[in-house]
Order: sequence, then structure tokens, then C-alpha cells
Amino acid sequence: MKKRLYLELENCIGCRSCLAACTQCGGHEERNRNYVYDVNPLVNRQTMPLMCLHCVNPACARSCPAQAIQIHETGAVLSALVEKCIGCQNCTIACPYGIPKFDTEQNLMYKCDLCIDRTKDGIPPMCASVCPSNTLQWLTDEEIEAKQKQFNLDNGKWVTSLPFLESETNVRVNLPGILQGVTKLF
Amino acid sequence: MQRDKFFKEVDNLHHPNETLVRTHCSYCGMQCGMNLRVNTKTNKIIGVEPRYDWPVTVGKMCPKGVTAYQQTNHDDRLLKPLIRDDKSLKGTKLGFREATWEEAYDHIVKNFQKLQKDYGNDSLSVFSGVSMTNEKCYLTGKFARVALGTRYIDYNGRFCMSSAAGGFLRSFGVDRGSTLPWTDIHETDCLFIAGSNTAECHPTSMFRIWNVQERGGYLIVADPRETPIARRADVHLDLRPGTDLALANGILNLLIENGFADEEFVQNHTNGFEETKELVKQFTPEYTSEITGVAPEKIIRAAELYGKAPNAVVMFARGIEQQHKGVDNVSAYTNMALVTGKIGRAKSGVATFTGQGNGQGGREHGQKSDLLPGYRKITNPEHVKEVCQFWGITPEEMPKPGVSAYEMFELMDQKVIRGLYLLCSNPAVSAPNLNFVRNAMKNLDFMVCSDFYLSESAEFADVILPTVTWSEDEGTVTNLEGRIIKINKAQEPLGESKPDWQIQVELAERLGKGKYFSHLKTARDVADEFRGATKGGYADYSGATWEKIEKQDGVFWPCKSEEDEGTPHMFLDKKFYHPDGKAKICALPYRPPAEEPCEQYPLRLTTGRVVYHYLSGNQTRRIQFLRDMCPEPYVEVHPETAKKYNIEHEERVRLFTRRGEAVYKVKITEAIRSDTVFVPYHFGHKESINLLTNPALDPMSRMPEFKACAAQIEKQSIKKV
Repeated sequence: MKKRLYLELENCIGCRSCLAACTQCGGHEERNRNYVYDVNPLVNRQTMPLMCLHCVNPACARSCPAQAIQIHETGAVLSALVEKCIGCQNCTIACPYGIPKFDTEQNLMYKCDLCIDRTKDGIPPMCASVCPSNTLQWLTDEEIEAKQKQFNLDNGKWVTSLPFLESETNVRVNLPGILQGVTKLF
Repeated sequence: MQRDKFFKEVDNLHHPNETLVRTHCSYCGMQCGMNLRVNTKTNKIIGVEPRYDWPVTVGKMCPKGVTAYQQTNHDDRLLKPLIRDDKSLKGTKLGFREATWEEAYDHIVKNFQKLQKDYGNDSLSVFSGVSMTNEKCYLTGKFARVALGTRYIDYNGRFCMSSAAGGFLRSFGVDRGSTLPWTDIHETDCLFIAGSNTAECHPTSMFRIWNVQERGGYLIVADPRETPIARRADVHLDLRPGTDLALANGILNLLIENGFADEEFVQNHTNGFEETKELVKQFTPEYTSEITGVAPEKIIRAAELYGKAPNAVVMFARGIEQQHKGVDNVSAYTNMALVTGKIGRAKSGVATFTGQGNGQGGREHGQKSDLLPGYRKITNPEHVKEVCQFWGITPEEMPKPGVSAYEMFELMDQKVIRGLYLLCSNPAVSAPNLNFVRNAMKNLDFMVCSDFYLSESAEFADVILPTVTWSEDEGTVTNLEGRIIKINKAQEPLGESKPDWQIQVELAERLGKGKYFSHLKTARDVADEFRGATKGGYADYSGATWEKIEKQDGVFWPCKSEEDEGTPHMFLDKKFYHPDGKAKICALPYRPPAEEPCEQYPLRLTTGRVVYHYLSGNQTRRIQFLRDMCPEPYVEVHPETAKKYNIEHEERVRLFTRRGEAVYKVKITEAIRSDTVFVPYHFGHKESINLLTNPALDPMSRMPEFKACAAQIEKQSIKKV
């Protein structure tokens, strides 16, 4: 059963366990490839992860003049191939989310490959495995649909569940505000 | 057992030439399950892999847990015993020379024996900790009483869990940190969480806590700061530090007034209701608000939600416990559950978030000044007799009760205690009033420190013994649920390091007490003796064999026999552990913090953790990822307060109290009360906030008041670079 990375931004507690875990997948040269931002640090403790959304038609790959960014059969948009990457950094500019990182010493782009060693065999990626708050989850399409129904909100004030943020992505996201749609028990 | 909706069957990733060793994290009371990746060629730990099969945490880990394995083969590991001959260098890292174990042991035995000959048995002391296995905690107590024959043993739980222990003992007659398993938490209808920065201190509880809200339940958080968990709470009770007792009394008053008391439960299963009802009457929302600074409508709303909830759990942590009325705070919040009868059934109860890995088990088995194995009291002659018989000593040989952790430093200062054997703790960072404590350690005649890194406390030692990390030994730990679990060995001890139990056996032999210790040749030997020693005590582990722990995913104590599966839920039969079987509802008059703000010190200082560090930071400050995320302490200041002092974000200011001072970088945030400042406590030397904290002790638990004292900020003169 195909599973996807699913993000529920409301849950993030800013522990950055996903960053620590990213260094531990074994294929990541102990460098993390995702981000966690303080949304408004002088005001409150709200944080949010910024993960590669693994676009179906990824701008990073399209912009690459050397075809260094391959798309895996699972849909994962892989890190640049060392032998192909020419270090032009087009991808870092093309990505609407600012995901690809650049190693100036190696003249090489690197990015989230959705822990392809794990996810190709159905094992959750490290970030979603460890995430203590369930901000990052590894779910089937049915589970994601149920989540998005449960939290569906388009009341003119909050929009929490969109099919996609921009173009179609393999990763699915629920924006902050999901609790506004929950019916209280009493 | 206890596999819930979060549990998923997932295979692990197996890399070639690696084995996975199933174990748990080295850090907090959550004791998250993890696999250590071991290279089968080098037999060294090289990484971590989630343990999806652990029912409490289902693979989840915080950033400390993910990087915990990096402790084992760290460059800073102590690999050989160290001796320092020049006492003038005490308090520094300087002057240590490598020695053999024999030389170190000889040096220790010679000095211990000389001190005891000149000044009596009680001139030696043992200060230990609860980040080690039950077996080690047990043996440390036996080592102090039987091998050293001293009354002065105590441990760092006095800075952590002792108020929770005292409160539960008074309310229930038994101290098990949680009355229910963690797998119940997401199924309750209302969580009332006081003084716990859960998202940073016990992050892997968060997926269960958030799920309460996702199901439509309520989350109430009492904290002076808008922590990540408070930010999403349905009600945030933003109280002044040190005023919990008034808040708890105020809520109890509303619960009673609004008819939420369970009269049948109160009548049949509790004592003390009428007296308490009378006392809390004065705590009207307005009066409670005056003391706590929390708006009356928030107090009313919180009481209404907790009262109406079919099931609810009251949870708390160091925020309410590290006060000079910590025990009263625990009993006062526990009153809420007892008066409404929301206890003694699934999905309802009371729990404390245990701070240290084995904060629960480590306090039960005799390294506390007044306790013996199985939660027996050293002041109870029957209990002493039982333990003496088991150990093969006479009751006359059993030392008397000693004093609490902080009071040991007072006795060192008075030269009553002249020698110290310190293990598994770093009081030179974690104790309050550090100028005094560090001076007391410096003036000791002789000090031994056992650790795997050269901690700030080890800098005061004459001899340092290299011990193993958690991953190089095996044994049991009791997590924050009261579940006994198994820590497994993933690697042989690095260098010449040894487990503390082995060090104690070998020292005991050289002190002429071999007949009580020499039979303990493996961790399993210690485990089997330990289980036997707990038999018949309140905290009875006798049926919790390693095999049963493996088979059942842990065993909840009490577990009294081979057939007994253990006790996940406490008090299901509505029987409490006081002699009449009833719980005690306590009437607790309010007391302000020992030190209230004044003209000279107008701010309230409170302290706590950040998610990247654990306790004194001796471990986590050495891990690159964690250090990168939080390299230094800071002082959180509200923008209004910052304006008043004319200070800016990231400016360095002098923070001081009646006891000490330090310079911190300012972190401006609206997520704190304007009358309060906060500093994390994980840092050493001049950066330690405990230079400033107040050692005012709780009269029962002897817990210092880390969480509230009066402070002042001074702008630094601007130095041009």
C-alpha cells in the first residue's frame, strides 16, 4: 500500500527532531536536508517544518540543465547525482519552497530524497518516524483523506485543507487551524 | 499488550554488516524505545534506528534521543582512572594523571579508611543519581550502608522528583508517578497539565496530548510561560511562578461549589474532605486571581472543563514540584482528582512527568537518605529488620537516616562530612546556590567522582573513575508510567571503563566487605539480588523478571510473583495504600514563595529546560547537533520589561539575586509574564543559573525552590570593540 509523507503544521513544537533524524538515515552524509522555522520568534513559540514536498512535476528537476535530479518510481525527487551536478544552483532558485541546499566545497546540490533507502521498501522516512508531535506522518491515501475530511475547513476565515499548495505534490499538507474544525466532546 | 491506534507493524531498515540492539533512551523518564545500530565488524555503536514496536513511543524520539548514541564513542570519554595529587587545583580540569584501577582503588581505600578512622563512619558520604539502572541504584544504597557504613547517602532526585514522591505518599499512601499507563492519555477527555513544559521536556508525549484535542477533548495548561504546549491549550493559566497552591485551591473550590464533587467516592474512599472544603472556600476566583495573576474567567473556565469532563487526567512536573511547598502543590492538584472521583479507573488519574530516566525506580530502592529497597523506611524497625536479614547484617549495623542532598553540602561546609563518593550526578551545575555548593565541594578532604565524562563536578575530585554509558551495560529502569523496562548492552565498555556496580563490588572487597558483595559477578546477579530485596515492600519488583519484561513489553509495579502480570492501572479496586484503604484529601493553606519580589529584586526568576539539553548538560552539551541548536543559556524577557530596563534582543545583561549573578544574552519574547524572567539551567561554570537560585527547602521533600526567587536585571555598560 503506497504511503505518503503528510504534514500537519498545527502540531509542530519546534523540537527539530526531524533535523536530527535527517542526519541519521545512513544515506545523508549526516547532513540534514529540511528546515524548521520560528514563525514569529519575538512573539510566540510557533514553529513550522519546511520539507521537500516532492512535486509531481518538480521545478528543481525541470530547471536542471544537467538532468542531475532524478525522480524515483515512488515519486521521490532525489538529491543531485554527484557525477552529473554542475553546481549551477538553478534548482535552488527554481524551487518555490527553497528546499535544495548547496555545498560550496563540493560544488554540489543536496536535498531530501525522502530517505529513499527506507521508503522504497515501505519503511517510513526518519523524520516522520521520530516526529514526537505527529507533525510529520507516513500515511496511506485513505488515512490522509480521512484526516483532510476531519479537519476540512473553508469557512471564509480558515482554509486548512487544500488539495495542493501550488502544483501537485506527493507530500500532502494540512495548514495550521485544523482545530477550528473539530467538534468539541462537551 | 497496550498496543493502541498509534501502533503500526513496521519493519526496520537493516544495513549490511549491522545488528540492531533493542533498548531505550539514556535520558528522560519517557524512556523512548530505540534500536542501537552496531557494526558487526568493529562491534561499535554507530547509529540509531527507531523502535516502532515499543508501545509507549512507537518509534518516536526527540533530538536528544536521536543523537543519544553519540555519547558512547565520544572523544571526551574517560578511558582510565585519573588521580590528582595537587589539591590546590581543585575546581579546575588541571592536574589529573592517568592511573591503573589498582592504584586508584588503593588511593580511595586508604583515604576513606583514614577519614573514617579519624572522624567516624559518617564522615564519608555518597551522592548519587537516577540516570542509572534500578540495579545500580539499589547497590549504591547497599554500598553506602554496608560497605561504607555511613548514614550520609542521598541523590539528585531531591532536585527532581522528591516533591512528587512526598505528595503521592501523603495523598495515596504510595508513590507511583502515574496511576495509569501512557497509552491511556490520548483517550481521556480533558488534560490538566501544571508546571510541565511537555513539548520540550517530554516531547514524545505530545502526539498523545494533541490527540486529546483532535478528538474534541480539552487541554488546560498552567505555566508562567506560553510554552509550545500552552500556546495550543484551550485554557492557559498564566500564573506567577510559585503560586500553584492558590490556583489548585481556587479550582478545587469551584469544583466543589459547582457540584462536581463525587460524593459517593469522597464518602467511601477518602478522608479530609470537609476540612479541605472549608479551607478552600476563601479561594474565590477573585482572591485566587489576586495571588496568581490569572484572570478569574480563565480559572472559572478551567474548573468547568475539568469538572464536566467524563474522564480527565491531572498531570504535573517540576514547575510545581521545585518549590518550597512542592509537596503541598502535588497534593493540592491531586485533590482535584480525589474530590471529583476521577481516579482509580482507565483514562482518569494523576501523573507526574518523571524527569530522569530512572527517576521513578531510582527513588524506590534505597539511595534516598531515609529509604531502603522496595520503598521501605529506614525509620521503621520492621523494615530495617527485613532488609538486614536479606543483607546478612544486624539491625545495629544499619546506619541511621541521613540528610537530604542539599543538606549534605551544608554538612560538608561544616566539616561534618569530609569525604564524598559522587556518581551519576553533576551537582556543581544542578544544585541551587552554587557559590556555596561549589565551595563546599572544594573544601572536602577527599572526593571520588565516577562519570564517563569530566563533568563540572569531577573538577572538584581527587580521583575520577571512568564508568560506562547506558549502552555498555544492562539492567532495568522504571519509566514515568511505573513500567519496569530493560536496557540492553550494545557494546563492550570503552577503554578501561567499568559499570558502577562492578566498581562498588571491587571497592567493597578492598574495604573488607567482600562477603556481602563478591557474589555479584554480572549485572544479572545484581538484578536477581535486587528483586529479592524488594519482595514484600510497597514497590515490589520480585515478579518482574527480565524474561517477563521482554515478553510483556515491560512490567508495571507492584509485581509480586512469577504469575503476577503487574499493575498498569493503580487503585482500580478503589483501595489506596493508607492503612484504612482511603486516600487523603489535604487541606493546604497557601504560602507564598520563600522569596517574594521587592524593590531591590523586583522580578521573579524561574528556570527550566530546553528541548536540546538534559539536566546539567554534561552529556548533551558535548553532542554537536544539540550544541549547535542551543550553545548557550539566555534570559527570556517580556518586551514591556525589556523596555523598562532599556535592553534589547540579544544584548548581554547582568542578572542577579541575593546569592549570585551571571551574564546572559537577552531573548525578547511575549511568551512570558512581564513580571517573570526565565533562564535554562543546563550550563556550567559562570553560565549556571543555579548560582542565583534559592536553596529554600520544602519541609517534607527537602526539594529546593528552583522555580521561584526574586531577581534583578542590570544593563551592562556598553563596551566598544
